[in-house]
Parts: sequence; C-alpha cells; structure tokens
Amino acid sequence: MNLWRLEWVRLTRTGRVFILLAVFFSFGIIGPLIVRYLPEILDSAGSGEVLDQLPPVTAESAMSSFLGNALQFGLLAIAFVGAAALAIDAKPEISVFFRSRSTIPQILAPRFVINAAAAVFAFAVGVVTAVVASGVLIGWPEARPTIVGSILVALYLVFVVALVAMIGSLVRKVPATALLTVGGLIVLSLVGLLKPLEPWLPSYLVGGFDGVIAGGDFVYWRAVAVTVAAIAVALWIATVRLGHREV
Amino acid sequence: MGRSAIVETSALVKEYGDAVALAGIDFSVDRGLVYGLIGPNGAGKTTLLGVLSGLRTPTSGSVHIDSVHVAVLPDSPAFDPWMTAYEVVDLARRLSPTEVPESFVDDVLEQAGLAEAAQRKVSGFSRGMLQRLGIAATVVGGPDLLLLDEPAAALDPAGRREVLDLVAGIRGRATVLFSSHILDDVQEVCDEIGILRRGELVYDGSLEGLIARLSPQAQYVIEVRGEAAGLAHTLLSHAWVETATARDSVVTVESESRDAAEQHLAAVVGNYGLPVVSITPQTRSLEEIFLEVTA
Repeated sequence: MNLWRLEWVRLTRTGRVFILLAVFFSFGIIGPLIVRYLPEILDSAGSGEVLDQLPPVTAESAMSSFLGNALQFGLLAIAFVGAAALAIDAKPEISVFFRSRSTIPQILAPRFVINAAAAVFAFAVGVVTAVVASGVLIGWPEARPTIVGSILVALYLVFVVALVAMIGSLVRKVPATALLTVGGLIVLSLVGLLKPLEPWLPSYLVGGFDGVIAGGDFVYWRAVAVTVAAIAVALWIATVRLGHREV
Repeated sequence: MGRSAIVETSALVKEYGDAVALAGIDFSVDRGLVYGLIGPNGAGKTTLLGVLSGLRTPTSGSVHIDSVHVAVLPDSPAFDPWMTAYEVVDLARRLSPTEVPESFVDDVLEQAGLAEAAQRKVSGFSRGMLQRLGIAATVVGGPDLLLLDEPAAALDPAGRREVLDLVAGIRGRATVLFSSHILDDVQEVCDEIGILRRGELVYDGSLEGLIARLSPQAQYVIEVRGEAAGLAHTLLSHAWVETATARDSVVTVESESRDAAEQHLAAVVGNYGLPVVSITPQTRSLEEIFLEVTA
C-alpha cells in the first residue's frame, strides 16, 4: 500500500468512482434520448406549440444536451467525491497519521491527481456513451471537434478538483468543502455574465464543448491559459495553507 | 559513555489566543530513555507532544529533535474505515523513512494481538483495537523516537499490560516519550518523568528523585511485639530523634536525617529488648506526590 494506491482504493472501495461513472454514463444516454424523442413526446402530449422552441434533432444538439444535464449533477458529485479525499483535516486523528509521516505535497499530490483523473475518466465515459447513443439514435457527431471540446471540459473539471483542494485547505469538513466549491463555481458563472471577462474565465471552457462541436472558431486559448494558471495557484494555496494549519 | 539528548526544548511557549498552553518549557530527553509526561487534564501534555511532533507550531521558543524517524500516536487513533488493519500498518511501513521488509507488518500485528483481525476492515474495530492498531502502525517502521499520547488509556488490563511490555521492550532501542494519566504505568516503565501543571514543567527528572524529594526526610514506622510507648520514650532521649509517637505496638519516628537514622535506629530498637516485627522507611505514593505537585 502506498499513497497513490490508497487513493485508488478509496475511490473504488467506497464506491465513489462508480457514483461519478453512473452520473456521466446515465446522462450520456439520457441526453441524446431526450433530443431524439422529446418532440414526439411533447407532440403526443398535446404540447405541439412548444416544438418550435426545441433544438433541432442533430448530433450536436444531442451532445449539448448530454453536457448540460451531466454537468449539473456531475459537478456536485465531483465536488463531494473530491472533498471526501481532499479535506485532509476533516478528521484530525486520521490527519495525524498522514501528516506525521508525509509532507503536504506528498499527501496532496495523489489525492488531487487520482480524483482529477477519476473525474476526467468518468466524463470521458459519458462523452463516449453520448456519442454512441447519438450515433444510434440521431447521427454521429464529428470526431475531432468532439475530442477538442471534451478536452476543454476535462480541463475545467481538473480546475474544479483543484478548487476543491484549495477550499479544503480553508475549511475542514467535507460538506463545507464541497458546498463552498459549488458556491465558488456559481459565483464564477455569475462573473461570466460580464462579457469582457467571460472569455478569460475557466467556466468559458464549458461553452467551448458546444461551440467547437457546432463548428465555431477556437476562441478558448485565453480561458485555457487562465484555467491552467488557476489550477497551479489553487494547488499552491492549498499546499501553503495546509502546511500552516495545525491539527 | 555519556548520553545525548534526542529531544531538547528551550523557553517553549504555545498560546491559543489568550490561553497559554505551554508557558516556557525547558527540558530534554536523553536518547534511549522512557520519559513519562504526566499532568492533569489541560496541563499541556497533548500540546507539548503536538509541538514536538511538528503538528503544532510553537508561539515562541525552540525545539530540537535529533532523530531520523519520529513516530506519533494520538490519544484516539483513527484510520480510514474502509482500510484493513494490514493495509494501515503496511501503509505506515511504506511511509517510514527507513526500509522495512513487508514481513514486519505481520510481526507487529501479531505483537499487537491483531493477527486474526489483519484482513478485517477498521470500521468494525473497538476503541481498544484501534489503539493497538495505532501502536502497531507506530512501531512498524522502527522509529528512534516515539511520541505516544495516552497509549494505554482505552485498553483493558490485558491490553494495557501488552502496551507496557511493548514500551519496556523498546527501552534502549528507541526513545519513548509518552503522556499518561495512569500513574502506575508511569511508575512501572519510565526512567524519567516530567510533571506539567497549567503549561509549566514543575518537575523534570527521575521518579526516585521526585519521591525522595517530596517524601518525609527520614520517617520510619517500627512495629514491635508488645507495648511500644517505652520504646518511643527511649528513642526521644537520643539527640538525632526529632519526634517519636507510639500507638499500641507501633512507633512512628522522625529523625533529623536519613544518615543518622540508618546509623543508629536499628541498634537502639534492637537493644530495647522487645522482639522487632519490622522497621519500615516511609515513602509516599506517586499519586500523593502527583496531587501535591499539581495542586
């Protein structure tokens, strides 16, 4: 057993990785399914007047539906699953075991990397599922834009896990860490309403998924650069804060 | 060969806001000793161990630890509940700064009485089992300094005995600094003790030295066969006797010094003519001394 394997065991034995997989996998099916059948469902329910407001039944709409639904629950799941590992002082007696044997970077690195990898992997499973479901029900989305758009969202998810690590160094308990992370993401989205700032924010990457798949220009370099820097800063703050915190 | 200090503190202060947890602690622990830290609740024992282990930062003063591997056991050890006992100890082994073969994991689990529970998840462990698992995880890496916070507090008599044997067995190979409320444990295994009171170290030295210092200078209880009043009267006629009181067949005598008593007392009592049952020097229990020092 070492600290890296410990994090993998934490995710699998507690079932947390399966929660992440279940969320993204299920919306990978539900997203395209909704786009494909919602017009017929509404039509048969006598709500035909809203049909004009529905997105067109295309592979791009199917992928957009997947992401929109999956991220709502997925970010919550990633925040809680990440907080369960990254709030390292939530239980002081357990924290003493690790802190008295390892440095903060040694403790933090595997927790961040494994949780970020799990989030990205679960998202990737969701993307593949959505692509297949869309291909079967509607049509196949283009491969290259889908991959590029997915990489943008994956980077955003890594940023979310880094944010969890930072919040976990500011508060101690798991629920507080997770909920403050979600709160921080909401605030970030609200800041994105200021149009001059929007292209610089990590949350802009999420829009890149739809934008790139829909064939738009790649205008996300600024958000990519800021997100990478934000990940580094968040992890640095977490390391420094945890290093100064007493248990 | 002289001993070197493995732990040394100088004017160590730890404050939590207005509360002073450690008020200028100066002490040192020599390598290889078992050092007992005793004191009432809130005296600063856990804080001192936390500062020595690096888990808490002193407000001022200095700490010098001359150790390759410090192992720490909190008073209520806890572990991720989904881990098995074997995994906990194996992880502690892997995180040890020294190379330790994996076979040591089974050995220390056996010593801790957890061999049969090795593959069980920690979530089902009792407090005593967690304490023993904590000790196993603490010793597996072969540390040269162990900081144990109340290591036997949660254990039943058999478990407590195992811990004391384990601590006694480590003597000479590693330095053990442990806090305890159980004075008998301290008396049994410690070479030196420190008594904390409200953040101050009010005694630092050997247990025998403390008992000698706070026990009556030279008080003896003499039991004879027969009425002891005459013996008390005879004893009082000697200049080195300060007081002598008789009750039935027992005389309690206080000498001006131990030297004088050891030189003359047996002869005077023997020459008096009554059969002597016993002559017992009076010492005080550690508990009595502890209560006086920490009052």
